[in-house]
Amino acid sequence: MKAFHYGDEEISNKEILISVTTMIIGAGILTLPRGVAQSTRGLDGLMAIVAGGVIAMFFAWICAKLSSRFPRQTFMQYSIRLVTKPIAVVITALFGFYFLLFTAYEMRIVATISKVYLFDQTPVEVLGLIFLLVVVYSVSGSRAAILRINLMFAPIVLFIAIAVVLMNLGYFEAENLRPFFTTNWKGYFQATKETSFSFAGYEILLFYVALSNQPEKAPSAAIIGVSLPLALYVLIYVIVIGVFAPESTAQMIHPTIEVAKEVEVPGQFFERFESIFFTIWIMTLFNTAAMALDLSIMCLKFLWPKIKKIIFISVLSPVTYLVGMLPENQLAMFKLGNFISYAGIGFAVLIPTLLLIIAKVRGVKGHA
Amino acid sequence: MFGLFRRNRARIQQQRKEVSQSHDFSITIFHSVQQNVENIRNIMNSPDDLITRVFTIANTNHSCAVICIDGLVDKDLINDKIIRNIQLQVSQLDRPLSSSPTIILRELENAVVSVGEISKAFSLDDVMYAILSGDTVLFVDGADEVLIIGGKGWASRGVEEPVTEALVRGPRDGFTENLRTNTAHIRRHLRDPNLRFETFKVGRRSKKSLILCYIDGIVNPALVEEVRRRINTIDLDDVPESGYVEQWIEDSFLSPFPQIQHTERPDKVATGLVQGRVGLILDGSPFALVMPMTFASSLQSPEDHYERWLIGSSLRVLRYGAAFLATFLPSLYIALSSYHPGMIPSDLAFSIAGSREGVPFPAVVEAFVMELTLELLREAGIRLPKPIGQTIGIVGGLVIGEAAVSAGIVSPVMVIVVAVTAISSFALPSYSAAIALRMLRFPIMFVAATFGLYGIILSYIMINIHIANLKSFGIPYSTPFAPSYLRDWKDLVIRAPLTMLKTRPEMLKTKDPDRMYKGGRRK
Repeated sequence: MKAFHYGDEEISNKEILISVTTMIIGAGILTLPRGVAQSTRGLDGLMAIVAGGVIAMFFAWICAKLSSRFPRQTFMQYSIRLVTKPIAVVITALFGFYFLLFTAYEMRIVATISKVYLFDQTPVEVLGLIFLLVVVYSVSGSRAAILRINLMFAPIVLFIAIAVVLMNLGYFEAENLRPFFTTNWKGYFQATKETSFSFAGYEILLFYVALSNQPEKAPSAAIIGVSLPLALYVLIYVIVIGVFAPESTAQMIHPTIEVAKEVEVPGQFFERFESIFFTIWIMTLFNTAAMALDLSIMCLKFLWPKIKKIIFISVLSPVTYLVGMLPENQLAMFKLGNFISYAGIGFAVLIPTLLLIIAKVRGVKGHA
Repeated sequence: MFGLFRRNRARIQQQRKEVSQSHDFSITIFHSVQQNVENIRNIMNSPDDLITRVFTIANTNHSCAVICIDGLVDKDLINDKIIRNIQLQVSQLDRPLSSSPTIILRELENAVVSVGEISKAFSLDDVMYAILSGDTVLFVDGADEVLIIGGKGWASRGVEEPVTEALVRGPRDGFTENLRTNTAHIRRHLRDPNLRFETFKVGRRSKKSLILCYIDGIVNPALVEEVRRRINTIDLDDVPESGYVEQWIEDSFLSPFPQIQHTERPDKVATGLVQGRVGLILDGSPFALVMPMTFASSLQSPEDHYERWLIGSSLRVLRYGAAFLATFLPSLYIALSSYHPGMIPSDLAFSIAGSREGVPFPAVVEAFVMELTLELLREAGIRLPKPIGQTIGIVGGLVIGEAAVSAGIVSPVMVIVVAVTAISSFALPSYSAAIALRMLRFPIMFVAATFGLYGIILSYIMINIHIANLKSFGIPYSTPFAPSYLRDWKDLVIRAPLTMLKTRPEMLKTKDPDRMYKGGRRK
């Protein structure tokens, strides 16, 4: 039957908010405590997390503000009006490439961690492939559905994260949190940089706010969307440091999963809670990967509007797969991750800020 | 090869053209009664069940004819109220009938034929439809018009308790095969003058009535318009069951999930209409359709609202659990026992391993064999006569389970898993949704056998993607979870107290959003 638009394909700010949250927590939360604990002492890293979160909130607000200034206009449309067409094309292409790398990295993380915590024999290549296939299936559907799935999964994911925090309270040792305020400025700076990476992901606002039915309220949604992961990061960090102490946290690859390992489910119903935790966490990783691939396709579609979506999908998915499988080991993978993080900061901070300044200075507005 | 196809297609098209020419009913009505009777007899090839009674109207020399089909009409009514009145009562009229056939016809309609349901027809097409659908036709010699007298009466099943949707508490009457009984059921539930019934004819040959019902002023007009549009596209020769209509107008035929609810319960339809949904009733089918539908509504039962809210809520929670178990339990067993034995407590892991000792198959084969057997038993139980069906279910289940374990083909734990899965899937109120989940179980078992928990979570994600993309009459199947209508969450997993359910479902975007007015608040 022909599609019938009863409600529209429009999405509300609830979806936007949760999508920002999902995109930010993504894989970042799994490694965040390590990066912070490496350069801070005691609970001092908390300040870095809060600082990173506040910075992220500010730039998320900028992204939302910029795109809500041009309601219902795509990123390409308003960037052409702000900075001539050639520059807009370059920026969009770069975004497309960045999101492609993001998907690839996300896929690789899922495959690698699954191999560590769920299987030891199935090769990473196969695990990555089936994950990517599911992502492709999702991207072939409607865009609104991708954002709706975020909304469906968020409660489950947040629930399991809170469960990890609560069930670890028994192992929490206040002794591990001390001493306070002994980190030097360099350490704080380093840690803040590290957390800013974990907060990257709000750049999706530049693209998805165009779909919102209330773009004028998007900036406040963006701020709430960043504050949820901030709260979650703070909780997780406190519990990880309280359970492991900063020194050993700095040595773990995925401290957040390790802390889930400590959990003993009451009633002894099942053991190895970390496997369950990571299994559920795959939902978030899937959400971020699906959004990233969708955005990558969206960017390419801006550049070649006449080509069908299915063609982009069939071209991009093998490329994504190859890029994701390129890093040979964990170290190379983290290098790719770092590269993406730096690029992400550039895309999430520099470009929106510059565009918003240009918009303000030139006084360009929505319906001119 | 292709030439053969092409020739075949040309031949079929030629045949179609001939058929459509031979069924041209646009013949006008003759003036002569005799000719009309002959004509109708010819069209139908004078069957035995066609009653044609030609006689002269009393006190005139005009002849008339009563035509109907034996078995479809109420014979007493025809004898007492039509034939007898025309033969006798005409003589008791104040003034004699005039000689003009048109006036005679009008007099007969006004004063003689004492039947409530009466109308006029001008074309043979309408006349034929009336005869074939059980009405009685009265021809008067020389008149242009034909009287169609409603006197349907055929043997039909009485109102019984719905078989597929039994409830502990709630009205026990169910729909029947009789369209009028069914519409009357709905009227009995809703004495609202705004309740609308629109009639459509579906099926080129069967020409069955399909009734679209909704409550004007509540329902969103766009929804009604869309349902109307989809019904008008129906082009089938026969529509034996409302399932045909359902499959024709649903959004996606590739999805395993039902996108239109079917029910045997008038109260369920009435509740749906009051919520702002649209109902469809097909003549000859005891299953009414209610649309749009969401995933959540397949886990809801009318009983949730009839019982007190705590009971209703806990039953709902139970059903969500049941839906999860019915879909994932066997695959979880496969994944945990063959990939992640470390995740189950070691004592349990040992006892599972111990019970599997001597079982020659891997867990997945074991699970497949048992699940298939169970589905066979279920199917056989439906086909067999009722009393035997129930016993075969219990006996077959027990005997096969017991024998399979003692023969060492399956482990006792597997039998428990299969049994719990089966019970969970039968706990779901919607039969077709339960079947959809049961079908999904098999591919998930395969995936679990190859990728363990990782595969299960990916299949869970895929089901969610599908549900988020699927729509039922424009409403995403995942509503009200996402797009989230927080107000509708009061009647979702938890059924809030009745006084708190003040609005109709927000997702249906009804014209009248309030369910309760001042009366709901404490004065």
